[in-house]
Amino acid sequence: MNAPQPHRVWNQEAQRRQARLQRSVPFAHGKEVAPADMVSLLEALLEPGDRVCLEGNNQKQADFLSESLAACSPQRVHDLHLVQSVLALPSHMELFEKGIARRLDFSFAGPQAHRLARLVQSHSIEIGAIHTYLELFGRYFIDLTPQVCLIAAQAADAEGNLYLGSNTEDTPVIVEATAFKSGIVIAQVNERVDRLPRVDIPAGWVDFFVVAPTSNHIEPLFTRDPRHITEIQVLMAMMAIKGIYAEYGVERLNHGIGFDTAAIELLLPTYGASLGLKGKVARHWALNPHPTLIPAIEAGFVERVHSFGSEVGMEAYVAARPDVFFTGADGSLRSNRAFCQTAGLYACDMFIGSTLQMDLAGNSSTATLGRITGFGGAPNMGSDARGRRHASPAWLKAGRERSGGGTQVRGQKLVVQTVETWHEPHHPTFVERLDAWQLMEDMGMALPPIMIYGDDVSHVVTEEGIANLLLCRSPEEREQAIRGVAGYTPVGRARDRTLVENLRDRGVIRRPEDMGIDVRDATRDLLAARSIKDLVRASGGLYQPPKQFRNW
Amino acid sequence: MMTSAPQSFREASARLRVQGLLDAGSFTEWLGPARRITSPHLAALDAPVSFDDGVVVGQGLLEAQLVVVIAQEGLFNGGAVGEVHGAKIRGALLRAIEVRARAVLLCVDSGGVRLHEANAGLIAISEIMRALFAAQAAGIPVIALVGGTCGAFGGMGIVARLCDALLISEEGRLGLSGPEVIETVKGVEEFDSRDRALVWRITGGKIRRTLGEATLLLDDDIAAFRAAAAKEMMGSKTMGDSPRQRGLSPDALQTLEAAQRHLEARAALDPGIRDGQQVWQHMGLGEEVALMDPAEFNRCLEARER
Repeated sequence: MNAPQPHRVWNQEAQRRQARLQRSVPFAHGKEVAPADMVSLLEALLEPGDRVCLEGNNQKQADFLSESLAACSPQRVHDLHLVQSVLALPSHMELFEKGIARRLDFSFAGPQAHRLARLVQSHSIEIGAIHTYLELFGRYFIDLTPQVCLIAAQAADAEGNLYLGSNTEDTPVIVEATAFKSGIVIAQVNERVDRLPRVDIPAGWVDFFVVAPTSNHIEPLFTRDPRHITEIQVLMAMMAIKGIYAEYGVERLNHGIGFDTAAIELLLPTYGASLGLKGKVARHWALNPHPTLIPAIEAGFVERVHSFGSEVGMEAYVAARPDVFFTGADGSLRSNRAFCQTAGLYACDMFIGSTLQMDLAGNSSTATLGRITGFGGAPNMGSDARGRRHASPAWLKAGRERSGGGTQVRGQKLVVQTVETWHEPHHPTFVERLDAWQLMEDMGMALPPIMIYGDDVSHVVTEEGIANLLLCRSPEEREQAIRGVAGYTPVGRARDRTLVENLRDRGVIRRPEDMGIDVRDATRDLLAARSIKDLVRASGGLYQPPKQFRNW
Repeated sequence: MMTSAPQSFREASARLRVQGLLDAGSFTEWLGPARRITSPHLAALDAPVSFDDGVVVGQGLLEAQLVVVIAQEGLFNGGAVGEVHGAKIRGALLRAIEVRARAVLLCVDSGGVRLHEANAGLIAISEIMRALFAAQAAGIPVIALVGGTCGAFGGMGIVARLCDALLISEEGRLGLSGPEVIETVKGVEEFDSRDRALVWRITGGKIRRTLGEATLLLDDDIAAFRAAAAKEMMGSKTMGDSPRQRGLSPDALQTLEAAQRHLEARAALDPGIRDGQQVWQHMGLGEEVALMDPAEFNRCLEARER
């Protein structure tokens, strides 16, 4: 038996934390930091090579802290390793351009995708990996634990308790990983108040807070103006509802954020109700509070919604519908990206969303050349959770179809891709080879950035019909099933007509008329709301859309 | 139809509007698509032509009464008036006198004159005006229906205001120069045509109804337009009872005096008012105006007008 080594120090991380706090003393009054002192505080406590999480969410951004970090002297603060879900702000990219940060592990870089690709090509940045949200959150607790996190909250009280507001998003998971591993938690808040509506992060987990000069920026990312929904999207929504929602009895689901799925949300209370589906499908949702969901909520279709984040303008509506949304005792929305992603992965029977490109194996990608966009949430929800054990009728039926009459030991999640055959003129959605392969070569990546793996996809919906990939028995059949709904794209025109007709006879491919849908009925008049104003009216005036969506 | 959802007037084509406005199956089109009477000017410029030159004209029944209907197609060149297009409208108005129609329904959906046809288009507008006066003088009320995506602008904005009644949806717009034209000529500081809220506060159905330029504000629903048009038609109890006709009758003086009072009240408004919002504020109405539905809005205005 070896005796414990007496000289080994077991709390080096805690000691390092104390040293950081000591160095910060001149720049803070207790926990509160004046905005003008934030750069000095960061320079004092950060050390070269630190792993830093700079809270960049899908929506909420710690923009003041990001600008403060970018204003630090690269002589004092350099070679940081950023571990954050979203790179959205120009100041995020400045960190790399100035050498303040060198390495990056992230999920999504939508707005900065182009600049990020240029940094990679000029070797100004090292990318560890591009993750899905849940993977990155998981790694916060394994090998990417932040030493310092810079987060955004709505309000703080004198002690440093935080109220996160409707947009909780990533904050709890970031703080949990940092605060309980001897890290430093710094928050920017919009206001300091005497009494918080509710405490979302206790003061004991927070080291410093600053009242930012301007409120943190939040983008209305999930507002889709119904006036832009086309009749083709209405037709595809009718097929999805009749051919998939009704057919499988999908009660628990997640939707993408495009116009295709907004059309489905607006068709549930009209077309869905006419099929007698109320109370039978689309009851429980993992979804942000999409404004286009309002009519389906009001009609009683939607019973419950848990959200990743929030949506600008939906605050009062959500607060008035606590039976539907998750709210705090104060009445405001409680969202949580990590939990909602878990719910989307394990507790939902269907994901339906759109993509820019799909190949003949059903792999899909939103990658375009010269841009590194990353992944975000779709791959977690758009994948079959192979660890799942609990059964539901939809999951069992899909599993039965995949097993083809053989012994069934598991079900299958429905992963539906709904796409028009051309996503814009001269750009077919269906391709022989994804641009992602070229991007992999250009950027020196290990793998092509595929958003949804083809072997997870159960159905492809286009204006030409539905291809049920669960019923395909070979890669050749799968290829012909996809070609068979690919319309007049080069991929679609290269179909084997006989094989495609065989697949149609077997119900692998179904056209609108096979489902009893008359394409002439697919008009915008079926939409429960045709404008943003209709949504406001449906909400009884509770939904308050941002200015750019109003025509009044 | 599988649901009773309202059918949008704004989003319907000219033909669907005609179909929805008239008694089922009663429409007979004049110079229909099969005749292929297209614009020689567009053809000369090698620009696309349309089989009906962007306007549908014909006769049919509204509540079993014979009416002439004219519907511009906003999707073809913004409903702009060219030589053939204008001649079809003029001819239909004159034909209404010949067939002794109970009313003319004029669905305006136009940015004005078709620039490709310049003078021919301008002449067409004046001919439409003369034909419209002739129909009115014959005692046939002409009812303008404004609710398409192009609104009623330029020459067709004037034509719409000459009608006996002007029915407009909240989404409908009415004006002389369109927002883009004003921005091009006067600059974005004068009028930002991309500020949709501003465009509607200045040209939209609600402010036009408020200023008395539209007779009634309607839901964006073809059935609502049909019902309102039928009511206007029936309101002029017999032939020869159009408001224009009344203008020539013994109570003409009263009619003119009422119009004068209305114009004086409008002229007395603060010249600093540049926006619909300010008009409503001046009337003591707040932001609630924006979300009032048409029925509520009409009631609110009628109560004030009394």
